[in-house]
This record gives sequence, C-alpha cells and structure tokens, in this order.
Amino acid sequence: MAISTRTERPLDLLTRLYRPMQVIRQCEEQLAKSHQRGLIHGACHTYVGQEAIAVGVCAHLRPDDAVFSTHRGHGHALAKGLPPRELIAELYGRATGCSRGRGGSMHLFAPEIGLMGTSGIVGACILQAAGAGYSFKLLKTERVAVAFFGDGAVNNGAFHEGLNLAGIWKLPVLFVCENNQFATEVPFSYSAGNPSVAARAAFYGLPGHEVDGNDVEAIYAIAGEAVRCARSGGGATLIECKTYRTRPHAEGMGDFTYRTREEVEEWKTRCPIRRLRERLLHENANGQPSSAALDAIDAEVARDISAAQQFAEKSPAPDPKTAATHVYEESPAPSPPTPLPRVQGRGGKGVPLSPVVGGGEPLTPLSPVLGGEGLGVRGRETREITYMKATHEALAEEMAGNPAIFVMGEGIGERGGNFKTTEGLFALYGPERLRDTPICERGFVGLACGAAMTGTRPVVDFMFADFILDSVGEILNQIAKMRYMSSGRIAMPILLRGCIGIGHSAATHHSGNYYPLYAQFPGLRVVVPSTPYDAKGLFKRALRCQDPVLFLEHRELLTTKGPVPEQDYEIDFGKAIIVREGRDVTVVALALMVRRTLEVCERLAARGISVEVIDPRTVSPLDGDTILRSVQKTGRLLIVDEAFAPFGLGAEVAAIVSDAGFDDLDAPIRRLHGAFTPTPYSPSLEHAVTPQVEDIERAIVDLLEE
Amino acid sequence: MATTIIVPRLGWSMEEGTFAGWLKVDGERIKPGDVLFVLESDKSAEEIESLDAGILRIPPDGPQPGDKVTVGQVLAHLLAEGEAVPEIHVEKTVEVASVVIAPPITSPTVQRKQAISPRARRVARELGIDCNGLTGSGRNGRIRERDIRAATAGSSGGRLIPHTNIRRTIAARMVAGVTQAAPVTLTTKFDATNLVALRNQFKAADEIIPSFTDLIVKLTAVALRQHPLLQAQWRDDGLFVPERIDIAVAVDTEAGLLVPVLRAVNNQTLRQIVAQSRELIEQTRAGRLSADQMRDATFTITNLGGVGIDAFTPILYLPQCAVLGVGRIVREPAVQGDRIVPRDMLTLSLTFDHRVVDGAPAAQFLQTLRICLEQPAPWLIA
Repeated sequence: MAISTRTERPLDLLTRLYRPMQVIRQCEEQLAKSHQRGLIHGACHTYVGQEAIAVGVCAHLRPDDAVFSTHRGHGHALAKGLPPRELIAELYGRATGCSRGRGGSMHLFAPEIGLMGTSGIVGACILQAAGAGYSFKLLKTERVAVAFFGDGAVNNGAFHEGLNLAGIWKLPVLFVCENNQFATEVPFSYSAGNPSVAARAAFYGLPGHEVDGNDVEAIYAIAGEAVRCARSGGGATLIECKTYRTRPHAEGMGDFTYRTREEVEEWKTRCPIRRLRERLLHENANGQPSSAALDAIDAEVARDISAAQQFAEKSPAPDPKTAATHVYEESPAPSPPTPLPRVQGRGGKGVPLSPVVGGGEPLTPLSPVLGGEGLGVRGRETREITYMKATHEALAEEMAGNPAIFVMGEGIGERGGNFKTTEGLFALYGPERLRDTPICERGFVGLACGAAMTGTRPVVDFMFADFILDSVGEILNQIAKMRYMSSGRIAMPILLRGCIGIGHSAATHHSGNYYPLYAQFPGLRVVVPSTPYDAKGLFKRALRCQDPVLFLEHRELLTTKGPVPEQDYEIDFGKAIIVREGRDVTVVALALMVRRTLEVCERLAARGISVEVIDPRTVSPLDGDTILRSVQKTGRLLIVDEAFAPFGLGAEVAAIVSDAGFDDLDAPIRRLHGAFTPTPYSPSLEHAVTPQVEDIERAIVDLLEE
Repeated sequence: MATTIIVPRLGWSMEEGTFAGWLKVDGERIKPGDVLFVLESDKSAEEIESLDAGILRIPPDGPQPGDKVTVGQVLAHLLAEGEAVPEIHVEKTVEVASVVIAPPITSPTVQRKQAISPRARRVARELGIDCNGLTGSGRNGRIRERDIRAATAGSSGGRLIPHTNIRRTIAARMVAGVTQAAPVTLTTKFDATNLVALRNQFKAADEIIPSFTDLIVKLTAVALRQHPLLQAQWRDDGLFVPERIDIAVAVDTEAGLLVPVLRAVNNQTLRQIVAQSRELIEQTRAGRLSADQMRDATFTITNLGGVGIDAFTPILYLPQCAVLGVGRIVREPAVQGDRIVPRDMLTLSLTFDHRVVDGAPAAQFLQTLRICLEQPAPWLIA
C-alpha cells in the first residue's frame, strides 16, 4: 500500500489516501462481525476511528522501512501493505495468517513488507523502533523506523528510555503516539501529570508535534516532514495524534463504565473517513473525485474484504505437529571450518584436553573425556590465557569479520568495559560499534532487540547480571519469543553477557546467579562456561548463531587461566564436558563450582575415591545424555551449584536422572546449592552461603555412604 | 598508635599483584594523601595513597620491586614518634558453618521392607540373585550394588541367560516335587533281551516300529492297572485315585523339558499308542503343544537311555505319585544257568511319593513292571 509521494495535486493525494482508510475500516467491521460469529478465538482490538493516523504516516514509508506496533495494530499492518486476507486469516487462527496462526490480533508479523510486529506488551515497540533505527544508521541506509503506540505507553519507562536513546544517538525514528484518550479503560487525563505528550519531546531534545489524529491531511504533512528529517540524518520526531477509538477496547467488552454513549456518538461525527470524503466532495472544483467514484471505491473495497473473509474461512488450521517449531533456529548456519576437532556426535574419541585452573596450575592429573569434542592442541598453538582474555579474543575476532556486530553497555566505549571486555576495541571501531549507554537497561535491551530484528548483531554488556533484571520483560517477552511469534521469519542474533557469582563481598546487587530463571524460557540459550577454552568457544558460537544467547560469566573465574588454542574454534550448545573421569560418583557442577569440585577430587583421590566431574557448560539446552551415561557408570549423582536449589539446575538434573536413569541409581540423588538467601556482604556470611570445598567433600563422602 | 600499610584490592577479583616499588623512604614523615608505593594488578598499575599520617617504617625483609604480593599483606607501618613496630598477628580464619546441603525431605518413619537401591535391584535381576536375606551396606541397611556383587563373588564373570516362562514353570514344579512330597527312588535292572528282539521283529516286518518308550508306556499301564495306588494323588482329605491312566512322556526340546500326555493308555492298543505318541512328539518339537496337552497326567515316564544314562533320580511331578526313569540298554555278561551269556540289560529308576505309598507296594509295582518287560509279548496284546 505504498503511496507515491511525488508532487501531485493535493486532492489527488487525498483521494489516494481514501482507499486504504476504507480498507482498514471495512476490514475492522468485518472482524467485529467475525468476532460475534465466533470465528476469532482470542482478543480483537479494532482500529475504528483512528484510520487516518496509520494511513497518513505509512503513506511515506517504503517496504524496507520498519513499523513496530501495539496490541491495536490491525490498521498499521494494513497501512504497511498487509493483504486483508492475511490479517483476517491470522485472527481466525489459520495457517495462511500473517503469523501462520502463532500470533492472533496482537502479534501480527510480516517482515517481508517491513511489518516488524505488533505486540501485546505496551511500550516495547518504542524501544524496538529505536533499535531498528540503530541498525539503519549503523548499516548506513536511509531507512526509517516507526513506532505506533497509544497514550497508555507514554507514562511507561520504555517511552522515556527509548526517546532519550533516540535523542542522544539521533536515530531515524518516528514515534507516533495515538492518543485515543484511554489506556484500556483508564483515562489519559487521569494518568498524565502533563497532559501534552508532544511537549515531552523537548525533554529528550527531539522535535514534538501535536496533530489532529482524525485529519489525514495534517498527519500526512507532519509525518512527511518527520520522515524527511529521519532519512537525512536529522534524527527522531515525536508526533502526538489526538484521536478516539469509537469501538470498545476489545470486541465483546462493555464500553460504558468509563465513558458515555454520548461521548462516543459525538466522536463518531468526527469520523476521519467521513471527514475526508466530505472534504474531497466539497473541494472538487472540477468534479473529481465524484461521489460516484468514491462509492465505487467503497464497493470495490467491500468486494475485496468479502473475498478476504471467504479466503480466511476456507483456509486450513495449522498442523498441530508444528506447534513447537520456530522456537530456535531450525538448522544452525554452518560455521566456518575449524582446524580443531569439534563436537562430532556422541562417543567420539576426544584428544585429552587439559582443563587447567587456578592461575595455570593444573589441579588434576588430567584425563578428561569429552562430551564429544577434543582440544587437540597443546604447546605451540595453545597458550594459557585468562577467561577474560578468552572472551575478549572471541569478540575482537568476530567484530573484525562481521561489521554488523556492535556492543552496548555502560562504560564499554573508550573505557573498555568494567571487566576489560571491550578493551582496545573503541579505538578500532569507534562509538557506533562500541556504544556507551545511559543507565537504562530496559531501554537499551529493548533497543538491541529491535536492532537484532533488522540486520545487526548486538552484544549487550551488562557488567553484572543483576542489572539484567531491569530489562527482563524485553528479554523474556520479546527477545525469547520473537522468532516464534514471527513463525521463524525474524531471527534474533543477540548476545547478552554479564557477570554472575558470589565472591569478594560484592553483596546482593552484584552477585546473583540467574541462569535457572532464564533456562525456564523457550527461545533462549543460556551459557555458563567454567574455563577460558569453553568461554571462547561458546562465545564464538553465540556470535555466529541466530538465537539469543545469555552468556553468564562467573566473576571469580575472570582472571583464571587455561589453555586456549590460537586457531579458530567454536563449541556447540548443549554439549556437556566430562572434566574428569571417575567411577564412584558423578558430580555435575557449573562455573566456579567446577573448580571447587576438582580440588575436592584431588583430596578424595588420595583416599581412593574416584569422582567423575561433568560440566554442562550450557544450562539451556542441558545435555542430559552425558550425565545419564555417567550415572550409568557410577550409580551416584551429586549436583553442585552455587545458584538456589528450588526449581534449579539440581532439580532439573535430578528429575532427568530419576526418570531416565532410575535403575542406574545406587543411592539417592543429592544436591548441594547456595543457601536460599540474598547474598550477604560480610566475608564470614558470604562464605557461609556458597558451597565450599569442604562442603563438596562432605557431600561426596556422605553420598558414598548411602 | 601504629597503622599498617597493606596491599589493597584493585578491582573486583584481584587476589595478588606485583609490588612495583616505594615512592617514600624508610623514616619519612607521611601525611594523608601522600603517594606511598606503586602496585600493579592484572588491569593496571596504581599509585597507592596513604590514608593516615605517621613515620613510615619499611621492614628490611619486605617485598622488593617486582615481587608478588597478596591482597591484605602488610607492607609497612606508620608509627607515632618513638613508637615501636608492633608484632604482626596473623588472624586465624574462623571456621564457618555452612548451610548448603539441600536438606533431604525426611519421610515419616514407617516400617519399611528391606530397602534396596534401584541399581542393586536391577543388577540382582541380571545376575539372578535373590536379595532376601542379604545384608545391605548402605545407610539404614539399604542394599547397594556392591552387596549384590559381593553375594556373587567367585561366580562373577559369567553370563546371564534370562529366564523364559517355561524355565520358571519347570523350576517351580521341580522344587515343589522335592519340597512338598516325600520322594524315594528305587532302581532295578532287568533283562531287556526279549524287548529288543520284539522290537527287531517289527523292524523285520517293515511295520510301524514302536520306540522302547512306547513299549514301556504300554507295559507300565499294565502294571499300573495292577497297582493303582502308584497313581494315587495326595490330597488334604485323602488319596484320590484316578480311573484313567494318562501317562506323560518327557520330551527334551530346545526351550526346555516338555511333558505331553498320552491319554487313556489303559484302553489303547500298542498301535494306537505309537500313533498318539508320534503325533505328540512331532507337535512338541514344532513348539505347537498346547497347555491342555500337558495337563493332568497320572504318571510320568522319562527316558535318558538315549543319552547314555543308566540310573538316576527323577523328580516327582505333583500331584502324580510316581515317575519312572528309563536308562540305556547295555549288552552285558549275564549268568544264565551256569553259563555267562551276553544279554541286553536296562535299569529302571522309580521315584514315588512316600506320603502316598510305602516302599513295599512301590517295589511290588516295579517288580510287576519288570516281569512284563522281560516277557513282553503276552501283555502287549492285552
């Protein structure tokens, strides 16, 4: 539905805008009827009364410009060019719907035409549009991004953070607020201390305009100016369109508990379509367009919508067998050839790897058997470097080869990162790829989401994983679900990294272990490496895969050293490593606990106790097979994890083994977790809340007595 | 009051650093804010300022530039005028009780059977070990894998042939035959020369040739008619004596020993018996024998003569009273009058249930049977 913006008679232009407004109106009216007939299974939020805004703005957009929208997004989808039949079919839950039946009214996706999604979460679209703007700027295109949102979004943190980021980075974005005066059913006059949305633009150094949202000509004019500004590098604009929805919040809902029938009827007289029609007929000096011509458009649209309805109703439902597809990348992209023996199937003979820990001192007389891969290189091609250096190398190498990668975080620019994660890279790649952020986690994570959706690969450096929690809605509701919601058509190549772990009196806001939380959600990869070798290999994998990865680094491991080959290599997700072979008991340990357990192994070996240590390396996906094979051998299982016990790694591993390995168990499964408490500050308290070497030793010996 | 100057922590996880050298000399007066020394961490080299005032006392054996120092290590002291360097107390790290073991949820105390781990149960099954009576070495006496292995020590290293249903049935019946009855075995050797000769006549006549077992079945029925108590069955309220004579014949198959039953032998001619027995053996070998065809025998004959056995102790097949074991036919020197002559000799082994009959009647049955076998012709046409 792209509309030419070449110079033409104002009346001709307005005539062109008439048709898409009519399409939206008639489509919505059809959907309202369909809802009554029970053809729509979930919510249905119509756009009736607001058509002028979507049409007036989208008339300026090209197919490769990006639109991000809200729960009331039918009009935006149609105005961006979505065929009505795909919209109707989606609401009917059919395989031919624009989201292939995965979305419904609130999750419309058609990335092929730049419809980057409508969302059931208020405010997310603002950040994602800013992210798309970031991509377009980094990729040096003239594309623009548009966020359509209601007045309900403007008192939300996402509005503040998103507009501020767009302001300071001059992002090519239009923030279009459709102020229809109610956030669901709560009046804007009640919610806002400052009744002007447009005026708020000044806080962020942006131009702000207020416009009659029922006047398509006025909207078209202001949007045109904003789009030109964005395309030419002038940055973002906020446009507040004052309007009104004349149907209930959602079809089937009562409407007159919070507003009056008279008020609704009064607004219906200001219908943007009728207004446009009257204007066209009033000013048609030469008789063009005629009333009959506009009637002909109405009739033609009616025929189209009717055909679309029939198409949707005849379309098949999606195959239930596909209900869980598109959660992750279906077939991982082939990685570049690696000279090292990589993970190849099960039971492959690994060349011994030396997990060297603790400042280069080997704790074990090493015979680790690998969950598959071997690191066949020692000596000439393998140096000992720190964990921190290992991930830095991975990032630096990938950034050199992939200009779409950029890093965001607090102090990761010139300063090089609190943990030296980006040291020296600013000098090489400059501020656009090493982007210091204000302290606004929700803002820059939501922005990174939009960037990943539109062609770049963000690396978000949180410093401490505790800070991630401020952005967790963006991660779990948007980043994790995006591929699925879009039926596999939007990839989410994003790496979210931060330090976890208890130690050095960091206290409770700088020491959390949050991986069990994220491992509960489909769509995410959750990586928790324990050695420099694993850290580099998994970091590389994360920067090459098309799924979002949470890369969590235990802070107490950052300065530990270990062998890392010079050659390029990567480690696949979901492959545990047998760090040490043993026969009496299997210990599954993660991150710092791997090192502590290895220390215990040495002590116990002197007493004739042989411990097998398995490091899952990734908690999502979790490699149950390697653990089951080990328990088949040893008959005993202890899980050692610094994170909390309830619903955690121990519970998950224990459930897997007691299910699939029940007859292999010669003793109860034991878990050794951090105490179920926030992290205390004082060293004596801190020491008491994490599993220490003595605790692990006691737990193993106790288990052997079972 | 003396103040210690220690190695500070630079950054989050620094444990040790490199001492780069003093910027002040021993004995110098220090004000707060004066830069004292340079310390290098993994990240950077930092000039360390004094937070206190005093006269700097650097011990002569303190770290030299380039030495590794650990965080918290005492480098020097700031002293008041005339104050002496205090002795350094090494603080002992306090042992802290830890709370990390996820407490196993304690189950209510109930009287449980002998506990056994799933793995031990599996291994016991694989090795055919009965866990009853084993003592567990685990907590609260739980039987663990090692207890099962210990119970099989010495016999370990073999392979396990899983039980078939036939094997289990045979085992149960055999154990019952020994434990629930009072079995006694009698043996007797007889002259089978006539029996052999008789059979040769069938061969010469190109007739259907009865097997020795067929002949013995027929003649056993004759003997049983005279001694019906040998097929009486022990019941709690008395001895049940079946009217019909149904003789089971043990047949060795790959699946195990099977015992098809020849029905109503007392009413059948030898020819009928031969036909019936051939049909049954064929079905048995083909695995087509039904459970009905093995049920309710009143007497059993088992022949190990074909595999070179002379005498043995057959096991009763309850509720039958007796089982007859047939040995091989051996040509032996025998005394006939005053001459030593070669004769075909055969040993019979009869196991009977002493609850049902006593030794004398059982011996009399055996004697009758021997007479029939030594002079078979008259009895066969009966």
